[in-house]
Amino acid sequence: MARKLPPKDVVIIGLGWTGSILAYELTKAGLDVVAIERGPWRDTASEFPPAYAQDELRYAIRLDLFLRPEQDTLTFRNNKGQTALPMRNFVSFLPGNGVGGAGVHWNGQTWRFLPTDFRLRSHLEERYGKNFLPNDMIIQDWPLSYDELEP
Amino acid sequence: MDTCLQPSISRRSLLASTAALFATNTTTARARTVTQMLPWEPGTATPPVPVRPGPWMFFMADEAALVEAAVDRLIPPDDRGPGGKDAGCAVFIDRQLAGPYGRGDGLYMKPPFMRGAATQGYQMPDSPAARYRTGLRALADYVKAKFPGSSFPELPADDQDKVLAGLESGSIALKNVSGAQFFALLLQNTQEGFFSDPVYGGNRDMVGWKLVGFPGTRYDYRDWVERHNEPYPLPPVSIMGRSDWTVRE
Repeated sequence: MARKLPPKDVVIIGLGWTGSILAYELTKAGLDVVAIERGPWRDTASEFPPAYAQDELRYAIRLDLFLRPEQDTLTFRNNKGQTALPMRNFVSFLPGNGVGGAGVHWNGQTWRFLPTDFRLRSHLEERYGKNFLPNDMIIQDWPLSYDELEP
Repeated sequence: MDTCLQPSISRRSLLASTAALFATNTTTARARTVTQMLPWEPGTATPPVPVRPGPWMFFMADEAALVEAAVDRLIPPDDRGPGGKDAGCAVFIDRQLAGPYGRGDGLYMKPPFMRGAATQGYQMPDSPAARYRTGLRALADYVKAKFPGSSFPELPADDQDKVLAGLESGSIALKNVSGAQFFALLLQNTQEGFFSDPVYGGNRDMVGWKLVGFPGTRYDYRDWVERHNEPYPLPPVSIMGRSDWTVRE
């Protein structure tokens, strides 16, 4: 049964990193904001405290903090000749679940750019020749150099 | 609630109006509204429950004997340490199968059930516990037919290896069970048992971690970040600590 909720200035769907930053900025600007999230409230002290957050079986293998396929999954096939079948467990990508979204389990590494990363097109053309990059590859140099950003 | 647990002003404004929605099905939804402050309550952590020694919880005696023999061939004992059996891999698998993992909690278990491509993974309706029950039965039947008068644990190690290798390669066909898929499941769970935290019943005395030099669930390595090419000298530690940290009466 549809239930009508009080009107808000802004509704944010998904309170991960992006949604949280938006919510922070918009509420700071005085707007009335509601964020909607799927799954439980997440709390470091309760769900991944330092005493057992290193538990690889629980978190990395059994995927304790992730979306469970029984909640929501999708079907896939590799080509048109196959029949699309449900993903019964997640392997190749791991959707988040709960407040914080995928940010809760994010463990990427953000390496400092190398000087050549700022001028990648020029660098690759100097190194491998003008014809190395295909025409449809839109890779470009940044408008800033490493030296300009280096404090 | 302790005052230090009260959210700061900025957190409060961020959380001015946050709703968490739990969709249970298409017609009803349970929503929890979080507003003004963090909904932190004491005593809500869920640390792992240590596995206790004792009788098998999932396996029948003959199943357990088969699994103990198999894990000891997948990870054989040698001069570097104990094998899968003495490391507790069968105990680990038994306790896992008796719990949520064995039931297939969280997996998508609805139809259609049809064989797909290898890239589409296991597509049958059986939970991991059910797959062990039928897989071990089929494997025991195969051994009985192929080596009359012997069970898998009674076979010489060479024959055990041949059976396991035949399952892995698919050259041995089990009745109504994919031998290769069952082997892959058994191998995966054996590795988990050898290297998971001892709190789950395997990796006994942290033998798996000692073998590969893994320091376990230590909290903080900041003292070591800048110390390159030096062996880390501290022994591994489990979620439960170490036996030599326990006060003896």
